[in-house]
Amino acid sequence: MLLTALAALAAVTMCGCADREPLRPAPGDPAAGRVAIQRLQCGACHAIPGVTGARGQVGPPLDAYGRRVYIAGKLPQDPALLARWIADAPSLAPGTAMPKIEMTAAEARDMVAYLYRLR
Amino acid sequence: MKKEHLPNSLPRPPDEFEALKRAWARPKGWRFFTAVNNTTIGMLYVGTALLFFVLAGILALIMRTQLAVPNNDLVGYQTYNQLFTMHGTIMMFLFAVPVIEALGVYLLPGMIAARDLPFPRLGAYAYWAYAIGGLIFFGTLFFNAAPDGGWFMYPPLTGSEYTPSNSADWWLLGIGFIEISAIAGAIELIVGILRTRAPGMSLGKMPIYAWAMLVVGGMIVFGFPPVILATLLMELERAFDWPFFIAAKGGDPVLWQHLFWLFGHPEVYIIFLPAAGMVSMMLPVMCRTPIVGYRWVVGALVGVGVLSFGLWAHHMFTTGMPHLSATLFSAASMAVAIPTGIQIFAWIATLWRGKMQREGPSWFLLAFIGVFTLGGLTGIMLAVVPFNWQVHDTHFVVAHLHYVLIGGMVFPLFAALYYWAPLVSGRKLSEAMARWGCGLMFVGLNVAFFPMHITGMLGMPRRVHTYAEGLGWEDLNMVSTVGAYVFAAGVLVVLADLALHLRLGGKVDANVWGAGTLEWLPLDSYGSRSIPQVRGRDPLWDHPALAREVDSGQHYLPGTATGGRETIVTSPIDARAQYLLVVPGPSWLPLIAGAGTAAFFLLLTVKMVAAAIIGGMVALAAMLKWMWQTDRGVTHPPVDIGGGITLPVYASGPVSHSWWAMVVLMVVDATVFASLVFSYCYLGTNAADTWPPAGVNLPGLAWPAAAALAWLASSALFGLARRRLDSPAVFRAALLAAIALMLAAFGTDLYGQWQAGLRADDHAYGAIVYTVLAWQGFHVAVLFVMAAYTLARSWCGLLDATRRVTFDNTRLFWHYMAGQGIAGIVLVHALPRWLG
Amino acid sequence: MKQGRIQSMLDPGSAAAALIHELGIWLYAGSGLVLVLVVALALYGAFSAPRKVAEKAWIVGGGIVFPAIVLAALLVYAIHVGHALSGPPARAADIEVVGKRWWWEVRYATGGGHAVLANELRIPVGKPLEIALSTDDVIHSFWVPALAGKVDMIPGRTNRIVVEAREPGIYRGQCAEFCGAQHAWMAFYVVALPEEEFRAWLARQAAPAAEPADAFLLRGRDAFLREACAACHTIRGTAAAGTLGPDLTHVGGRLSIGAGVLGSGAAALAAWIADPQHLKPGNLMPETKTLTGEDLRALASYLESLK
Repeated sequence: MLLTALAALAAVTMCGCADREPLRPAPGDPAAGRVAIQRLQCGACHAIPGVTGARGQVGPPLDAYGRRVYIAGKLPQDPALLARWIADAPSLAPGTAMPKIEMTAAEARDMVAYLYRLR
Repeated sequence: MKKEHLPNSLPRPPDEFEALKRAWARPKGWRFFTAVNNTTIGMLYVGTALLFFVLAGILALIMRTQLAVPNNDLVGYQTYNQLFTMHGTIMMFLFAVPVIEALGVYLLPGMIAARDLPFPRLGAYAYWAYAIGGLIFFGTLFFNAAPDGGWFMYPPLTGSEYTPSNSADWWLLGIGFIEISAIAGAIELIVGILRTRAPGMSLGKMPIYAWAMLVVGGMIVFGFPPVILATLLMELERAFDWPFFIAAKGGDPVLWQHLFWLFGHPEVYIIFLPAAGMVSMMLPVMCRTPIVGYRWVVGALVGVGVLSFGLWAHHMFTTGMPHLSATLFSAASMAVAIPTGIQIFAWIATLWRGKMQREGPSWFLLAFIGVFTLGGLTGIMLAVVPFNWQVHDTHFVVAHLHYVLIGGMVFPLFAALYYWAPLVSGRKLSEAMARWGCGLMFVGLNVAFFPMHITGMLGMPRRVHTYAEGLGWEDLNMVSTVGAYVFAAGVLVVLADLALHLRLGGKVDANVWGAGTLEWLPLDSYGSRSIPQVRGRDPLWDHPALAREVDSGQHYLPGTATGGRETIVTSPIDARAQYLLVVPGPSWLPLIAGAGTAAFFLLLTVKMVAAAIIGGMVALAAMLKWMWQTDRGVTHPPVDIGGGITLPVYASGPVSHSWWAMVVLMVVDATVFASLVFSYCYLGTNAADTWPPAGVNLPGLAWPAAAALAWLASSALFGLARRRLDSPAVFRAALLAAIALMLAAFGTDLYGQWQAGLRADDHAYGAIVYTVLAWQGFHVAVLFVMAAYTLARSWCGLLDATRRVTFDNTRLFWHYMAGQGIAGIVLVHALPRWLG
Repeated sequence: MKQGRIQSMLDPGSAAAALIHELGIWLYAGSGLVLVLVVALALYGAFSAPRKVAEKAWIVGGGIVFPAIVLAALLVYAIHVGHALSGPPARAADIEVVGKRWWWEVRYATGGGHAVLANELRIPVGKPLEIALSTDDVIHSFWVPALAGKVDMIPGRTNRIVVEAREPGIYRGQCAEFCGAQHAWMAFYVVALPEEEFRAWLARQAAPAAEPADAFLLRGRDAFLREACAACHTIRGTAAAGTLGPDLTHVGGRLSIGAGVLGSGAAALAAWIADPQHLKPGNLMPETKTLTGEDLRALASYLESLK
């Protein structure tokens, strides 16, 4: 435990992923998406690279999300569909544990843009 | 001074110097571990303390890295809470206090021109117990078993309900015995300073550092007992459910806070005063002028020492204490600024009067003045009660205490490393590395800790493993973390300088700074060739030929009179030569006893009771064996040390150094007992219900009366034995009867409570009463061993009317203990009747 | 949650905190002056040519007279402020706050019937409230820097503090005495409201929980009562009457979950219920392992509806 900490001492690296080119084209502002992710506390359930404190384990980790083929293992990856999933997952999969979350359409779009830049 | 006035004349006998060297030769090879010389033990001691400084510093870097960003998960709370607990504990108990004692052990004999400290084996024992115990204590971190309740260990968090693992026991037992080691060191230094100064070095001519260490020795004697008692109470509560700090059973967690800070605040000055003393030695030399206001500075040291015992409650302003009490403690806390101000202005005036040499130590000294002043000023802020309500337990306090401790202690210590390193290797360390080291440390300290004042005022508490984003703390924390690494780089540069340029050598004759005090005489393992007659505060400045005279053997005791190791014992105030003390040489026993003591306490922590007892027996056997070799009696006719002075080689009674050590030890003991009385009264006067609680009966008065009479009779028998030292049969009978009466006294007292139905785990009342009894019982056991040892000496013919130090010490302690026994009886039996 | 400097003694929101802040400004300025003076004197002495010094003037003047005068003045000022803050003699408490590992139980004693909540106090603007501070376990310390200094909560004692706010607003507080594992996440909020709003809020807090408005929320309440939740939590108006954890009667109206770990909202509640030991390791709430995804959402929505 102490040794790991010692080894990690020199490197507190924060991955600034939002500035890279997206793997898939998506409308929206990734920087604003990161702010929205923080405001809406997505990190309580998901581990999300580049977002402070986001290391939840209730839902799947979202690292390299830009390479993910399916949304939640169910739906084909598509910016509009992902935006809908983020805002209102139960409408697409009634059995999901992911709640409907109040947000603006722009926020959902921006979050998609952020996620698509995670490689 | 003309030659004919020197104590000894030239030429010296041809084999005198060889015999002196032979007597003081440092053991070689494996026998290195038997060394007891103050210089060898002092070096080991300083080195080990610096190792702990580095280790605890690494823990701090991990913490700073964790706090660099909000919501960080580099280390979890479990690790973090261990880290800050261990960082504080190690820095205080395994670095700061040991390193000041270590430097004292190394420097003081040279400074007062003694050949060694009066109890070299005790010094070696204190070192080994500390080194072995400390390293094992640190090792608990690697097993995720380190204490995690903070270095202040507040109950009930650290009680068995909220800390069921034995992590807290590591702290209590580990620190408990390191305190004992510190007290052993303090007794050694006090007796050394008061009784082994060179002839003529009256108190008024003593170097300021020796004054500082004398005051600090006294502070350890009065300051450590409260925390020894506190750790004892907490361990009794954890191990046997004696509820001292459990409110539901009549205890009070605030009692711990009083006892802890009764120690904890003097502790800060125990760390600072030696550093201030060193500054008062170094600064005048670096400025080529005597210190301005010697008497004022000495008075200030004593003043801080006394005042420091009246401030402890300023750590407790937020506990809801009445505003009036808080104000009194606030005023006392502010008053410390006056003796501190005296010292700071004496140093500044010295800087004005002299011409500061722009070299190694000077940089650290200047950094010290700036940093420490800021720390002192924030200390005054903390003493302001309403302001304290806000910043107490925040990062503001973290900033304050690091400014005070790093500023007030680490900078002077590093200055001292640069200043006194030539004593070891005969040459200075690297000037370039001194500048880099000091610069990086100064910048790093300010970058790391200045922002913390603000972080604290923006609301960030101490001892948090992480913090929320968005409260305005992120940037300040990141800056602090960067500063911490810069500081660490500075420390690394200094340590590298030491590693590269410090060479352990033989004889050193290098007064590189042109200093005036005696540690700069040509020295070797035996100290100086002869022991100088001292006539002023800066003998080497007052009399430039002194070094040559001393080194050619023209002053006192230029060789060894008995063929063994000797030093001159002088009177405590005006330093007149009184007798020649033959000090013990190399031995395995201190190492064995130290290892045994460490084993006893640490194995007890992991509940390996049988193994612990074996360790304790080994330690006891080693100590008895080494004591058996002391008290040699008159083995040699009186010795001519030169200058017409003839000294006996054996002394008993108040003139003996051993008598002084015994008295200091009894003061320590009495202070522990006073802390116990305080605890009893505190619990009694703060009790929610009656004292004793309803349903508890006091034993009838016959029990305590019988016990008190037995104590008196036992003590009287020792008085009788004292007068019949010349008739062994009567003497032994008196001692045997005294032992029987002591056991009867204790048994009566104990049984009286038991038959009245009192139990220790029901209520704080029973717990504290049985603690008083247990404390007496512990002393009864110690006295039993001492009396048996004295009888054994008598049977072996090693005790008579002249060779009597062993008996005198036992007798002193016996009388003391009769007093303590009766005081305990009065406390437990009279006080509740009087209160009720 | 976007917060800003809402936990800062440098941004006082009450007369008491402002008094200490003013005292602080004198302290910072005075200390700054003394520091500059001492450092300047030391540096000048170090780098200038040697000169004669008058020992008494330096030591008595600089070391004794100067600090004695400054400190005497400071002490008088500090006593004055301390006295003003110690305030009128204690009266019956308006609010009881009990420190727990690692959250705060808040009980309104006056005007609120059974108003019990957690990690949040609401107070009327401009009206000082007397708060009784105690603890259920270890020592904690109650501290809202923008409103007042801290006061410890010590087993076997009840301490008091008076809190008032000059302006409506949200202030954050945090435990200031190390209290074990999750000391870092023992925060709370003080919300200052206009008097009328405060009264209305308090009346709502005292009332039992609302009935579920639809089938989904009903499903959530059923899940709450079916699972182990009710063993530790109370929802007034239902069968749930546990006392180990926070009273959840109006949990949906609170600003934070887990004493500062998460903000409000159904999603945060769902995350907390699903995985409290990851979000706040060592806290006393066990994981709930038997809920389906849909039940989790329903439960979170039900709790969120309890305003």
